[in-house]
Amino acid sequence: MIWKRTLLLFLLSITGLAFETSVFGRATLVGAKPELLLLMVVAVGMSEGPAFGATAGFVMGLSTDLVLQLPAGVSALTFTIIGYVVGRVRAQVQSPGAWLPMVMVSVATFLGELFYAGFNRVLGEHFGALSVLRAAVLAAAYNCLLTPFVFPIVRALAARLRPRAAEVGL
Amino acid sequence: MSRAGEMIRMFDRSKRVRWLLVILIVVSLAIITIDYRGKGNGPFEKIGHVALTVLSPIQHGLVTIFRPIGNFFAGFTEVPGLRARVSALQRQVAELRAGENSVAEVQRENDSLRRLLGIRDRYNLDTVAAQVIGVSPSNFERTVFIDRGSRSGVKKDMPVIAGDGLVGRVIRVGPTTSEVLLLIDRTSAVASRVVSSGETGLLEGDGSEVARLELFNPDAKLAVGDRIVTSGYDRGLFPPGIPVGTVVSAPPAQSNLSRVVEIQPFVDFSSLDYVLLVVGQTAAATPSPTGSAVP
Repeated sequence: MIWKRTLLLFLLSITGLAFETSVFGRATLVGAKPELLLLMVVAVGMSEGPAFGATAGFVMGLSTDLVLQLPAGVSALTFTIIGYVVGRVRAQVQSPGAWLPMVMVSVATFLGELFYAGFNRVLGEHFGALSVLRAAVLAAAYNCLLTPFVFPIVRALAARLRPRAAEVGL
Repeated sequence: MSRAGEMIRMFDRSKRVRWLLVILIVVSLAIITIDYRGKGNGPFEKIGHVALTVLSPIQHGLVTIFRPIGNFFAGFTEVPGLRARVSALQRQVAELRAGENSVAEVQRENDSLRRLLGIRDRYNLDTVAAQVIGVSPSNFERTVFIDRGSRSGVKKDMPVIAGDGLVGRVIRVGPTTSEVLLLIDRTSAVASRVVSSGETGLLEGDGSEVARLELFNPDAKLAVGDRIVTSGYDRGLFPPGIPVGTVVSAPPAQSNLSRVVEIQPFVDFSSLDYVLLVVGQTAAATPSPTGSAVP
C-alpha cells in the first residue's frame, strides 16, 4: 500500500509549499516566517514513527529545496534528521500530554533553523549569528502558534492514509 | 511468542530504521555535493523549474483567496513594529482625510498601476507587467514569485521595478513564472549613485528592510535624506537613474577605503502587488541627472 504513503507525502508537500509561498510568505511574525513543512514533518514523525518521519523529512525537505531554489539537499538533510529524532523521542514518552506537540515543534524548529544556517555556512553562505538566532526563535514561536491548527489535520490525514501493516515506531 | 523472540524482532526493526536514516543522509549529502559542483546549472535546477510550474496555479489561486486574510494576519503579527509608525501614520491620515473621504482597494490598485506606467514613461523603458503571486517563505532569502515567465519574454537578470523604484532582478525563469531577488536580499548588489553629489557605490542588502551603500570614496559628502539612484555604471544590469532609496543613517567612514551608509528603499517590499520587468531601454532614454523624478 505504498501509494497511500506517496499520496500523503505529495499532498503535504504541495499544500505546505503553496501555503508557505502565498499566505505565510506575507503573514510574518515580527519579520519572521513560519516553517510550515518542518511543522508537518514533526507531526508525521510523532504520529508515524522515526522511519516514516525521516522519509517524510527527506521528501518534503527536498521539495522545499527544489521549489524555492535553496541549496539542494540542505533542507532534505535537516528535515530527515528532525523527522527521525522526533519519531525516536516520541517513542520514549510514555504518556504524552497535550503540550508535547507544541514543545516538540518549537524545539525542532529552533534546532532545524540553526542546523540549516550552520550547514549553509559550511557551504560558504554567511549568515550573521544574531540574525540566525532571531530567525530561529521567532520561527519556533510562530510554528508553536500554528501547531494546534496544523497538527490535528496532518495527523488525521496520516491516519487515514496509513497502510494496515504499518506500525508506529517502524 | 517468547519475550526473547519479541526483543530480537524489535532489535531488527530498529536496525532497519537506522539503515534507512543512514541511506537518506548519504543521499542528501550526495545531492548537496552534485548541486554545489553544478553551481546553479545542475539537474536539480531543471527539476525545480518543473516543480515551480506545477505549483504556480495553486499559488495563484491561494493568493487570490487568502490575500485579504494574509494581509490582516500580517498586520496583526507585526504590532510591535507598527507602534513606531503610529504617530507618522496618524499625521498622514489627517492629511488624507482632508483630501478624500475613503480609499478603496480599487483606487489603491489603480494608483499602483499608474505609478508603474509613470516610472516606465519617465525612464523610457520597454517593460512587461507582472503580478506578484508569492513570497519566499525562507527566513534567509528575500525573493518573490511573479506570474510571468519565458513565454512572456522574461529572461534571467532582467531588472524589476515598481511604481516607487527598483525592486531587484530576475534570478530564475520558468515557462509561466519567475523568481525575483529583492534588492534587500543578502546576495543582492546594485551599482548606485548619490543624486546630490554624484558619488558612486555598491548597494547591498542584509536581509532586513534596510540596505547598505558602500561608497567608493570614503570622504564622500552626503546627508540623511539624500536620494540614491542606480548608476548604470559600466553597462551594468540596471538602467541608470532608477530610484532606489534615501539615506537614513550616514555615519563617518570607518576606514580609509570606503564608507558605508544605510539606505531606506523607496519600495515597500511587504506590499508588492504589481511590478514591471525591464526588457530594454529606448534610445531616447534620458534619465534626469539630478534624479528629480524620484518619488
